[in-house]
Amino acid sequence: MLHSAPSVALREDEVERIAQRLGREPSAVELAAFDAQWSEHCSYKSSRHHLKRLPVSGSSVVLGPGEDAGILHLGIHDGERYAVVIAHESHNHPSQVVPFEGAATGVGGIVRDVLCMGAQVIAVADPLRFGRADAAESHARYVAQAAVDGIGAYGNAIGVPNLAGDVYFDAGFDENCLINVVALGLVKESNVIHSHVPKDADGWEIVLVGKATDASGFGGASFSSLTLDAEDAEANKGAVQVPDPFLKSVLMRASYRTFALLHERKLEAAFKDLGAGGIMGCSAEMTAGGGHGAAIDLDRVNVALEGMAPEVIAVGETQERLMWALPPAIVPDVLRIYNEEFTLPEVAYNARASVIGRVTADKRYVLRYDGAVVMDVESDFLTGSIRDELPYTEVIRHAAPANELAAVSVEYLLPRVLAHRDVCSREPLYRRYDAVVRGCTVLPRGAADAGVLAPIPGSPLGVALAVAGNPRYGRIDPRYAAEHAVIEAVRRVVAVGAQPIGLTDCLNFGNPRKPDQYGEFVRAVDGLACAADALTLPFVSGNVSLYNESADGSAVPASPIVACVGAIEDVGQVITPGLKHAGSTLLWIGSRELAVGGSVLAELLGVDEPLPALSYGAERTAIGILRDAAARGILRSCRAVSDGGMLTALVRMAFDAFTAGRPIGAEIDFGNPFCESGGFVCEVSDAAGVDLTGALQIGVTTEAPELVVNGTHFSLAQLYEIWSKPLSEIYP
Amino acid sequence: MSGRIAVLVFPGTNSEDETLRVLRDCGGDAELVHWSSPERLAGYDAYVLSGGFAHEDRIRAGAVAAHDRMMDYVIQGAQRGKLVFGICNGAQIVLEAGLVPGTGAIRKPTAAFTHNAPAPHFVCRHVYMKLAIEPARCAITASLPRDALVPSWAAHGEGRLAATSKHLDEIVTGGHLAFVYAHADGTVDDAAVPNGSALRCAGLVNREGNVLAIMPHAERDAWNFNHLERSDSGDVLAPSGGSIIFRSFVEAVSQL
Repeated sequence: MLHSAPSVALREDEVERIAQRLGREPSAVELAAFDAQWSEHCSYKSSRHHLKRLPVSGSSVVLGPGEDAGILHLGIHDGERYAVVIAHESHNHPSQVVPFEGAATGVGGIVRDVLCMGAQVIAVADPLRFGRADAAESHARYVAQAAVDGIGAYGNAIGVPNLAGDVYFDAGFDENCLINVVALGLVKESNVIHSHVPKDADGWEIVLVGKATDASGFGGASFSSLTLDAEDAEANKGAVQVPDPFLKSVLMRASYRTFALLHERKLEAAFKDLGAGGIMGCSAEMTAGGGHGAAIDLDRVNVALEGMAPEVIAVGETQERLMWALPPAIVPDVLRIYNEEFTLPEVAYNARASVIGRVTADKRYVLRYDGAVVMDVESDFLTGSIRDELPYTEVIRHAAPANELAAVSVEYLLPRVLAHRDVCSREPLYRRYDAVVRGCTVLPRGAADAGVLAPIPGSPLGVALAVAGNPRYGRIDPRYAAEHAVIEAVRRVVAVGAQPIGLTDCLNFGNPRKPDQYGEFVRAVDGLACAADALTLPFVSGNVSLYNESADGSAVPASPIVACVGAIEDVGQVITPGLKHAGSTLLWIGSRELAVGGSVLAELLGVDEPLPALSYGAERTAIGILRDAAARGILRSCRAVSDGGMLTALVRMAFDAFTAGRPIGAEIDFGNPFCESGGFVCEVSDAAGVDLTGALQIGVTTEAPELVVNGTHFSLAQLYEIWSKPLSEIYP
Repeated sequence: MSGRIAVLVFPGTNSEDETLRVLRDCGGDAELVHWSSPERLAGYDAYVLSGGFAHEDRIRAGAVAAHDRMMDYVIQGAQRGKLVFGICNGAQIVLEAGLVPGTGAIRKPTAAFTHNAPAPHFVCRHVYMKLAIEPARCAITASLPRDALVPSWAAHGEGRLAATSKHLDEIVTGGHLAFVYAHADGTVDDAAVPNGSALRCAGLVNREGNVLAIMPHAERDAWNFNHLERSDSGDVLAPSGGSIIFRSFVEAVSQL
């Protein structure tokens, strides 16, 4: 037989526990099933109990964590309640091995998570962490290029705009890149489709749709839960899935048609992405979630090649597949939509929708193959929460001595800060992604701190999306990095004039079986919980990616990466970052602490300094001032302070005006303008009435296309040249 | 008086919804027609081929789609004077079908929209298309002002016009060069071209003037909310910018 089970990642005690419960040795299929289902990737066995600390409820929450994606209320249009669906995942391990396919598959998977909630997929975003890509022949350069091309090839083809994202290059990611993906969907709240069957689903039919099942992606869930070893990399290529965006594009459209049919007939159904654990994982969770069991006949699965072992058919992670559980009456119509109207079998070899089993009342999960039962276990035992209480060590917050910083030379530093790999223009990268397909884009990626869409035809309602997660902080203090990621993602959404409504997270960490690396994870969860509580925002979806550890045993810099969604009542009111007029007042609103720890400046100066303190009070005040200024119509432009500090934010506001054909300059005075402690740089028409206890007047805008900082003059054109070029070396 | 518009959906098409929306917002009587029912196309007066990756752009963008059964109806319709408007992938398909520049035989193209240069990568960039023919030379552009500038987005990996010098000469002398890339102020130079296209070509028209192929997506810059800084009214939902070419198209369809 082809492709039978390789060694499994289950531990000996876990295998014993299974045998004990079954009262017999598990079959090969059962072993493969538990291997996937009890992997860290699927079970969150070592992280779930910590994640319980995250706030998950609030007035905007339509659906919290637990299904394939979370759902947040966006607004009301034409009497209908609309919501955004959001999911956030990583595809780190595969992307380090085969970056093009790995990254593309990441997009494909997250899109299905959003689609299966009954939503139109309206955007993707991708936070990326690459190694040092400066050397032309390095593997890190290859990963940085091929992963971006993979994301573009997939997202562009399926017609979903890439709305937001970020990228950092750091030696800590040389052996483990991080490819996080976020997807957004739009759904009427009355039309949400759940990932599990309802209570009365006994006898419903289970329909598999999409690509013919092949041997790719077998062991994928376990693979994601192992530490990468250079020697294993080649052998692990078989565990990487093969993406097919062309088929996905058709699958999405056929699914939209099916949604419409279900709403027309007012029928309930369940729809779920096939991810980790394949047909088995999907059908088991979908049915157990409604208190049911399932009987699946593997002989009815449309396969791409003959002779595959049953465990490969059952657990393999062939891409571009989804699963419906449907009332029998509508099944013929659904099959007709996928197979005839959208001609799946003509779009990809043996792709189709086929009935492969049914929902049962007995809470047992049963697989048949070649006429025989090859798996028969209690559904709840298979899918129930298992828990590993792993020991961890407390991470001591790094406390550098505070030194008197020498006066900074803006003349020397500004060009270097702007050319820094974490600050320079990201355009060479993101212009490879389609930012405007669907025609709903208000602010494309790169135009502002957050991307903005007007996703509902005929409605001015908008949705904003931004991501954050700074590895320079992660390296110093995981908890701080987590808090900061929440604050920064929120700031970015606020900066375009949106009301933050919810968060997602992806926690990318090292080996949970090493107490120090696990301790970093635990501390980061504390940080996320603290920040979300303080800003009263819920986490509605998330993902944990552990074992991002290289062969020498070191982990990636702690990388809690956060996405924030914002709602906008009228996209006509969004705030854009380009300076608008000469003669405006420039304000720095919010936290202006002068500590430079973890900043680009500290790196350039080679100094170790304390991290700037975080103040939720100052944050809330700043958001209040900003929203008030916007409401009074005096806020002309705004950017959140981030990598490169306040001056970088201001320079970019001048660039945005400059490239739009409005050469407007600025003149400011501020001691150390490279502090990254936070807040917003704002251009206001009139500072009267702005609460200056929370805002500082730093300067004015001018008519000349130049920047004057503490008396030193810079040409905007020259600065733009310095800032815009560096990444085109990697992304020509 | 007829004037029904079909927006074609091939497997892999991905811009059909916004294309349909802008046509309707400009007053067009437009509907989607799917690949599984090509015979429906006979009942329409004008065809719009929208963006995407029809038939996965296998071989070359548009090459396989040009042989789709739907194209039998489009080619036949074009030969009978129906209007055909291809955008991005639609432009590639129309060109591969031999309908533009139309200097060769059907399905034997004399040029190609091929891999961008100098870097052979997908590029997503805001551009302006400038009308390079007399407006009335093409039915679809007839209502545009002379030298019209159409704000749009280039979003393609294969948008560079390439042909032998003989065929490029034919494009110029035959008046097939409908649009060139330009800056916001209307000046035309190489820096305005996102993809290295020969003749700075952004669009081609056939001899009869009833088939137009444009590479940039005018429908993605077609409402005020797509370009807040250039909005020409207080209504963010109003069509503007790139919608002018769809208005002109709908006008032409109404006169059929």
